[in-house]
Amino acid sequence: MFSQGGLSLEQAPPISVVMKFFITASIFGLLLGLYLLANSSGLLTYSTYAYKVTITHFLALGVMASFMLGALFQMLPVIAGVVIKMPTKKSMVVHVLLMVGVFLQLFAFNTSISLLYLFSAIILGSALLHATTVMIKELIKVQDHSSSSKGMLLSLSSFTIAILFGIYLLLTLGGYIKGDSFAQVKEAHYSFALFGWVALLIVSVSFQVVEMFYVTPKYPIMSKYLVTTIAMLLLLKLIALFISLPTVGIDLFLALLFIVYGVITLNRLYKRKRPTSDATVWFWRLGMGLLIISMTITALGTISSIDEGLKMLSYLAFIGFALSIVFAMNYKIVPFLTWFHLSNQGYMEAPMMHDVIHPKKAKIHFYIHVAMLLAWSLYILFNPPMISILASLLVVLSFGWLLYHLIFAVKKYNYTQKHTEKMEW
Amino acid sequence: MIISSYMRTEHRACDELFSTAEKSVIDGNFEQAEEQFLLFANDTLRHFKKEEESLFPTFEELTGSTEGPTRIMKFEHEQVRGLIGKMAEAVENKDSDAYLSLAESMMILLQQHNMKEEQMLYAMCDRTIPQDLKESTLEAMKAIKL
Repeated sequence: MFSQGGLSLEQAPPISVVMKFFITASIFGLLLGLYLLANSSGLLTYSTYAYKVTITHFLALGVMASFMLGALFQMLPVIAGVVIKMPTKKSMVVHVLLMVGVFLQLFAFNTSISLLYLFSAIILGSALLHATTVMIKELIKVQDHSSSSKGMLLSLSSFTIAILFGIYLLLTLGGYIKGDSFAQVKEAHYSFALFGWVALLIVSVSFQVVEMFYVTPKYPIMSKYLVTTIAMLLLLKLIALFISLPTVGIDLFLALLFIVYGVITLNRLYKRKRPTSDATVWFWRLGMGLLIISMTITALGTISSIDEGLKMLSYLAFIGFALSIVFAMNYKIVPFLTWFHLSNQGYMEAPMMHDVIHPKKAKIHFYIHVAMLLAWSLYILFNPPMISILASLLVVLSFGWLLYHLIFAVKKYNYTQKHTEKMEW
Repeated sequence: MIISSYMRTEHRACDELFSTAEKSVIDGNFEQAEEQFLLFANDTLRHFKKEEESLFPTFEELTGSTEGPTRIMKFEHEQVRGLIGKMAEAVENKDSDAYLSLAESMMILLQQHNMKEEQMLYAMCDRTIPQDLKESTLEAMKAIKL
């Protein structure tokens, strides 16, 4: 039957739910930049392993999970038609535990203190599992799934698996369990987190928002099988890992599917009806281009041996892809929600979207983001002197720029509520 | 699926008109933009009228509820009407920044509204309204003028 719950944007959660996650994500991004800067300038020196896992988890949890969980709290009612009851309370629990958990985990990686691994496994695990179960519980009730809602469900399920494997890895590193399957679990953890959680969620959301924001033709019918196929391949990979079968064929297939998706999305954007070519369109184009580059290198890596530099470029392109899409979403969602919530509350002077964050400011961020990616590419390929310092500074600038505009949006929202006239309906 | 098909075609036609008006504003051709915006506004308002005066009452009578999805759709129609007024003012004042800013809100609002109608409400109308009533409702909608 027709589910009225969540049908309207009217039933979307308060704006604070989304904003606190987005602001936290930007702060984590800023801290990541400072961490990179400290390393580049020799102020901090850690083992390569600690450095790599710190950067990975700063990005994956501090930045990406914060952005994506915040966006999900907002978008589930609109895109999938489900309502999360008491969103403010539930999101607060996730938010606080996530922040504490990420810091504990980063300290654990850099100090190897056993107890920190245990605490981070408990706190981070609780935060993320709470978030995924709250959302999965509602999504599972949807009767007529669209490609988007099904993809979100599969993506959150993949995230749950990645979290459980993550807890196993943390407990092994802390010496609490033997961790006989450490290598397989680690591989599965990365696969489910990157392909299953991050990429699958972006794919699912794009099926709705690319069409919604840019008025493009619909994705071809075969796209509706894409999310299920990706999830099935990940499950097959999991089985293959644990019965010690080679997984290169699966990795190749996954990479090819993401390349096809990237090409289709670029084509949709090319055929969009709206003539505007604002920064968000460019972020999407860049994101899809980087996904295609990253997956092409991954595919090549499955059929021949590639050097370490090329592998690093593939990782960088994947990070660039995920961040580009997150930035694109931010610059649409934040101005729209600010205007929407204030208008709905009856504020006649509600700022228009361009008054919240002007497209020119988003365009500047696009250039900073491109410069940051180019600087890191140069670092990987040629490592000229001082380039890592410049690249780290650009990370700081990129997230600092976003943070400034998010805070500006919050201030604008509060100012309108306090100082302008409200019409009672 | 005659309801879905007819209404979806109208949505797409409105999208086309909206995009051409937006392009004229970007090009700075406000005279043309005003004409195209008027076409978009008229077609959108006529589409809402068809729903509110013909399709929604038929659906509400069959389901016995006016508090269901149609109430939310009507609420969103009001939001769109408010934006149409503001956009008309912006195009008249040749204020491209204000127009494009409002156009952003309008598009997101309209697209998510259209998606819900196409994916859920129209599909339900096609399923629940008997064939002969569906045909007469469609004829009644076609006859509605602004």
